[in-house]
Amino acid sequence: MMKGVYNWIDERLDITPMWRDVADHEVPEHVNPAHHFSAFVYCFGGLTFFITVIQILSGMFLTMYFVPDIINAYKSVDYLQHKVAFGGIVRGMHHWGASLVIVMMFLHTLRVFFTGSYKAPREMNWVVGMLIFFIMLGLGFTGYLLPWDNKAYFATKVGIQIAESVPYIGTYIKELMQGGEIVGAETLTRFFAIHVFFLPGALLALLAAHFFMIRKQGISGPL
Amino acid sequence: MAHGHKSNEKVVFVGDSRVRKKAKTGPSIPPDYSSYPGKSEAFIPNFLLKEWMVGVVVLVGFLVLTIAEPAPLGYPADPTNAAFIPMPDWYFLFLYQFLKLQYVSKDYVVLGTVGIPGVAFGALLLAPFLDTGKERRFYRRPITAILMFMSLISVFYLTKQSWDHYQHELKLTNTIPEHILREEKAREAAEKGQEPGGEAAAAADIPLVDKDDPAVEITKKAQCVACHGADLKGNEGAGIPSFHGIGDTFTKEELVDIVTNGKNNMPSFKDKLSPEEIDQLTTWLAKQKKA
Amino acid sequence: MSNHGKQDKANSSAKRGISRRQFLSYTLGGAGAFMAAGMSLPMIRFAVDPILQKKAGGTWIKVVEASKLTNEPQEFKFKIHQVDGWYVSDPELTAWISKDDSGNAFALSPVCKHLGCTIGWNTEKNNEYVCPCHGAHYTKDGKNLVVAPKPLDEYDLKIENDWVYLGPIKANTRVK
Repeated sequence: MMKGVYNWIDERLDITPMWRDVADHEVPEHVNPAHHFSAFVYCFGGLTFFITVIQILSGMFLTMYFVPDIINAYKSVDYLQHKVAFGGIVRGMHHWGASLVIVMMFLHTLRVFFTGSYKAPREMNWVVGMLIFFIMLGLGFTGYLLPWDNKAYFATKVGIQIAESVPYIGTYIKELMQGGEIVGAETLTRFFAIHVFFLPGALLALLAAHFFMIRKQGISGPL
Repeated sequence: MAHGHKSNEKVVFVGDSRVRKKAKTGPSIPPDYSSYPGKSEAFIPNFLLKEWMVGVVVLVGFLVLTIAEPAPLGYPADPTNAAFIPMPDWYFLFLYQFLKLQYVSKDYVVLGTVGIPGVAFGALLLAPFLDTGKERRFYRRPITAILMFMSLISVFYLTKQSWDHYQHELKLTNTIPEHILREEKAREAAEKGQEPGGEAAAAADIPLVDKDDPAVEITKKAQCVACHGADLKGNEGAGIPSFHGIGDTFTKEELVDIVTNGKNNMPSFKDKLSPEEIDQLTTWLAKQKKA
Repeated sequence: MSNHGKQDKANSSAKRGISRRQFLSYTLGGAGAFMAAGMSLPMIRFAVDPILQKKAGGTWIKVVEASKLTNEPQEFKFKIHQVDGWYVSDPELTAWISKDDSGNAFALSPVCKHLGCTIGWNTEKNNEYVCPCHGAHYTKDGKNLVVAPKPLDEYDLKIENDWVYLGPIKANTRVK
């Protein structure tokens, strides 16, 4: 039955080569921790992606309860964490996952750097990877404000003040980030939109480019 | 299967990827591991299985962490809260601490916020175009490696310094971070069998009794308001009690003792206020009961 | 045919035990399923929590003195305490309370069972509940006459110390 459906689709769209290419491509020995234990350093990229998937899923579930509004944001986070079953765990996954994704990405970046894997022909992939790093930091910064507790509020204020010190355009950047004169209701909705739609969208596009280039160029050879 | 046309007629796609083209090996793609025959394995299932074994271990550890350590949540944002020590997330600490350094603050703040981080992150972004040599081993390209090591050391050092400074400040001001305080309160409340959070919310709403009492003037004169707030609601995060409903917590005698001799961080007021004034003030404070 | 050939092959390999590749594939599937489950089970439990929450038992709300009730339905408003997630409110509800011929009081919900508009008593001077939206009519007992598919819902009602108390809403019990 399943086979029949698959064949029917394959006949029309010729999908076999697409996944065959991913499934059957050969992975070299030097990145395989079963051969050399030190090759575990090559796992960090995959783990970053794994945690990113957890972040996206847990974030989607959190928005089922969260309200991006200065009166209700804190109440809804308090409610989802303390009153909803497994709320503490789902919010914990999102909170600690944010830290873990940075750790994993940091280690992945160091691995790529110290094995010189960014050298020709893989320069573009390094640049894309760094952009992913910056987007992750942006996600961390914008996500921090959302619970609207004291820590969120003051850390965001400091962050925006840093942006304000940019010469000439600083005040414009500040107002653009705040969506007004103060850190308040409009800042929260703005940060929410950036955190939930804009940055994840950019992240997915960059991830696609990252993976496409890895597949196209292969993993860099052994040292 | 395949209704509507003869089943033995195979659809032929233009540019069908199943038709093997002669592999074009561009000069830019080096023949890396394909020149090590017999030493590689298929991505699925052989290699991915090993990756996923690591993934399983990481996931289990991660879930244990989320269960053991709930995500912190402080008190609702209060822009007038002066006692709160703001701290960014740990991965921004190095930047936060960096901006406190002498040559990147005050007149040079632009250097600190845009200049140096801009150069550092810009260099990182464009590393492949700055380090263009063929050599990949890091010890054979000493300049790049040393720059990276130095940046790493300074990032770790600044993060540690920032964290130590934060801990020091917490100790100095005798502050408990409010997400910890909040959890302790919730646990105490749960032990007493109350609704968590109910008490704290209620305390803020208790009105002051006898707002026109002359003792209110004393609170201004004696600078009570400096710590306990202009609304006399104190500051829970810093352990400063609210005057609202304080009569439920302390008797008049206890209040006289606290004002005269101080308590915890609160200084003694016996030099600033006369015994009559203290009496007047504490009489008024003792009247501050919930209902 | 080719299908037969494949089956034979599969059978023979089953006799020899599974191949290395198959074993790896099953282990991979198992590891993948474990990760997917470990990741998504807490989230799914989190999402379905509303349907698993214990429903709060009904509380009785004091509405009006029993002596004020007549055989003619009258509209009474009362406030309930409602906790909706993090939003706590005291919305006002309406009930049409009247006595039947044997003197028993009953309270009907004003929500039309057709499409949820609010009905009124005797607005067409025919001693019937009338819905202004699509012209549904109900008898004094709440029996649906035209348009509406079901009779009007009823509130639990009790009388204590000459006060009428209303409880949770339930399906109409007066209409057979």
